[in-house]
Amino acid sequence: MKKTRWRGLLAAAMMTLALAACGGNESAGSKPSNSSATNYPPKPITIVAPSGAGGGWDLTARAITKVLDESGLVKQTMIVENKPGGGGAVFMAEYATQEAKNDYKLFVNSPPIIINNLKKEGNSPFGYKDTTPLAQLTKDFGAIVVKADSKFQTLTQLLDAIKQDPKSVTVAGGSAPGSMDHLVAILPIYKAGIDPKSIKYVSYDGGGEAMAALLGGNADVIATDASSVGEYLKAGKVRVLAVSAPERLDGVLKDVPTMKELDIDAEFTIWRGIFGPKDMSREAKAFWEETLKKLSEHEKWKEELQKQGWEAEYRNSDEFTKFLQEQEQQVGDLLKSLGMYK
Amino acid sequence: MSTLSFLLDGFQTALQPHNLLFAFIGVLIGTTVGVLPGIGPISGVALLIPVTASMTSGLSPEQAAASSIILLAGVYYGAMYGGSTTSILLNTPGESSSVVTTLDGYQMARQGRAGVALAIAAIGSFVAGIVALIGLVLLAEPLSNVALKFGPAEYFSLMMLGLAAVSGLAGKSMTKAWIMTVCGLLLSTIGLDNVSGVARFTYDISYLYGGLEFLTVAVGLFALGEVFKSILHNEKNDGEIAKIGRILPTKSDLRESAGPIARGSLLGFFTGVLPGAGATLASFFSYILEKKVSKHPENFGKGAIAGVAAPESANNGASGGAMIPLLTLGIPGSGTTAILMGALIMYNVQPGPLLFDEHPEVAWGLIASMFIGNVMLLILNMPLVKVFAKIIQTPTKYLLPLIIAISVFGVYAVQVTTFDVFLLLAFGLLGYWLAQHDYPLAPLVLGLVLGPMIENNMRRALTASNGDYLVFVEKPISLVLLIIAFLWIAVPMVMKLRGKSIIVNEDM
Repeated sequence: MKKTRWRGLLAAAMMTLALAACGGNESAGSKPSNSSATNYPPKPITIVAPSGAGGGWDLTARAITKVLDESGLVKQTMIVENKPGGGGAVFMAEYATQEAKNDYKLFVNSPPIIINNLKKEGNSPFGYKDTTPLAQLTKDFGAIVVKADSKFQTLTQLLDAIKQDPKSVTVAGGSAPGSMDHLVAILPIYKAGIDPKSIKYVSYDGGGEAMAALLGGNADVIATDASSVGEYLKAGKVRVLAVSAPERLDGVLKDVPTMKELDIDAEFTIWRGIFGPKDMSREAKAFWEETLKKLSEHEKWKEELQKQGWEAEYRNSDEFTKFLQEQEQQVGDLLKSLGMYK
Repeated sequence: MSTLSFLLDGFQTALQPHNLLFAFIGVLIGTTVGVLPGIGPISGVALLIPVTASMTSGLSPEQAAASSIILLAGVYYGAMYGGSTTSILLNTPGESSSVVTTLDGYQMARQGRAGVALAIAAIGSFVAGIVALIGLVLLAEPLSNVALKFGPAEYFSLMMLGLAAVSGLAGKSMTKAWIMTVCGLLLSTIGLDNVSGVARFTYDISYLYGGLEFLTVAVGLFALGEVFKSILHNEKNDGEIAKIGRILPTKSDLRESAGPIARGSLLGFFTGVLPGAGATLASFFSYILEKKVSKHPENFGKGAIAGVAAPESANNGASGGAMIPLLTLGIPGSGTTAILMGALIMYNVQPGPLLFDEHPEVAWGLIASMFIGNVMLLILNMPLVKVFAKIIQTPTKYLLPLIIAISVFGVYAVQVTTFDVFLLLAFGLLGYWLAQHDYPLAPLVLGLVLGPMIENNMRRALTASNGDYLVFVEKPISLVLLIIAFLWIAVPMVMKLRGKSIIVNEDM
């Protein structure tokens, strides 16, 4: 018994060596331990979710490592680490200052990395510019939702009512002012030329509580993630007035107009992406760009996305960085109009 | 009686051998997770999601969903059972919902009644679990509508009632209890204000953006405070450790606990239904209620069995109640149910208004498995009581380092920052100092829990009403709650003024 196991181990070791050699430079003499371009990563990778276990970032990090491992795209061990605190600010401060060269630590994030860096209160001094954006992997959009028996049939009606008397409409969302739900709610209002500061915004603790407030008649309209309203729409409990997508969504929300269709120049993508350290080595960056592209096309990743109810959207490092610049501009404008810019 | 036939189908699902096994693994892990402070039900469930995913990978999607949710729910209420253990034995609350259990549970343990306390906690949890499940089956639909009607104004008034009732947690002096409550409320303002987004008392330290972690404060005040006390006062109890008396409660113990368990179960269930109110509040409320209705309120804080039975029933009842908004509305009422919801979504089962129509196997299978899980927990816990109760016989020189280690490990496991470990130590010192000067600790903890809820709901209500304070008395439920809160404070005062000698808390 023992002997067989040893032999198995030996075989495995040989195979690893062989694989490493195959993957290495064409020259047969290349040593596997050299960290040449194609030998990255020589040691375990940590992917950080800058939140507690169970949140969106955590699920994303775990899904990524799971698929990378199962598909064999990354052969090294991968660990998910939770670093909660300050909506990601605690982790960013440490990462941007002490780990700027650590090629073995990546992290996942979403629009808060931009928002927290720009807003005045609860500011995170470090933003996406202190990292190397590697890839965007998923997307979601904001939705403006009212109760099924609401008097507002369209977004235009809602905006007219707010224009006439901002105090007559209670807008709710699952997060504090200056954070994502608030900005999604404010966006169409701001773009329609209404002073966003006059809006009556009530913040709840998470999208679920905001939905409860809407259904219980304690809010007239809420802003939330498009992916989370489908079930309520199917059950006939709510009406979705608009989504912040560039074009119509599929599935349950296919009859919901985009804000652009309603002549409101508003678009907001709630993305999730993966980042590396600012001074990432060229080899490491090249490796992850290639690997994450492969990941985004992999069957198992598509299965995982479907399981989680996420929508795929892949942007490579350059496209992603450019996109982040645009969103930063947009978020900056919004925060300035609210007087919440740093 | 379609409900009944659905329930029977549910039992068929839950009684399949592999699902029984999953339920058993779930409650076993849950109990362990509950015993360890720090790894609360939230992180326990979150960490197990990927594990269950691979365990159930061979089954069809619908079956896999049912099986893994059975396991995860088992962890959830198993943790509610286990949470009482360290509270009672070591004065170290395993999770926030068992903080009040320390008050009388630890005293009971010191008197050698640890076994009885643990047993009554298990029995209370069991009864509450069953009550909550019956409620879940019969009242899910109407209750979910009532929960929706609870708006910011109603929440505010409910929390005010909680604050008014804080007198029930007072020790020797009511004034000191109020001082501690206000300190708790003040501490709760640290962090990013959820209503305006403004940072308060954070001094640009990003660790403080999220406010003080409740568990860090509670474990520091209760567990480390007690440790420091034992060290500094050099308690020589190595020789005379409290003997473990009998393990099983006597008939009179049971008689004494029957009322508290019944009331605690119901109160817990209904509090649990309200999203956001949760198990912690339920346990506080039920403790206070018991003290109020008890014929011997002076025994509370000195090892009254009702003081263990009621909150432990309540927090388990609440975890059953929290299933209602989750399953019928898709609205998670607590952190743990939010994670359960995430797990369901992973299996393409969307909790919400359509769950019982679209996935009856999952929904009813879960409900039935909770019945079975509760029975398993009782069977599992009663023999364990004997084992756990032995912990109290450990000599102090081993026990104290153990408590420190568990506390530090637990806090670090949740927060993953050394900042919180230092905070833990600071609150340990504070807890020692406060206890030395007869300041009750529980009101501070309650203030810390209620503070953000009171403030946020008050400001939400006022935003919605355009600043009109009448909103709190115009809504009937809110008005009733406020009147009860007012009477709670006013009646004893008036009676005292009229010279009647009644049991006010000053005399205990």
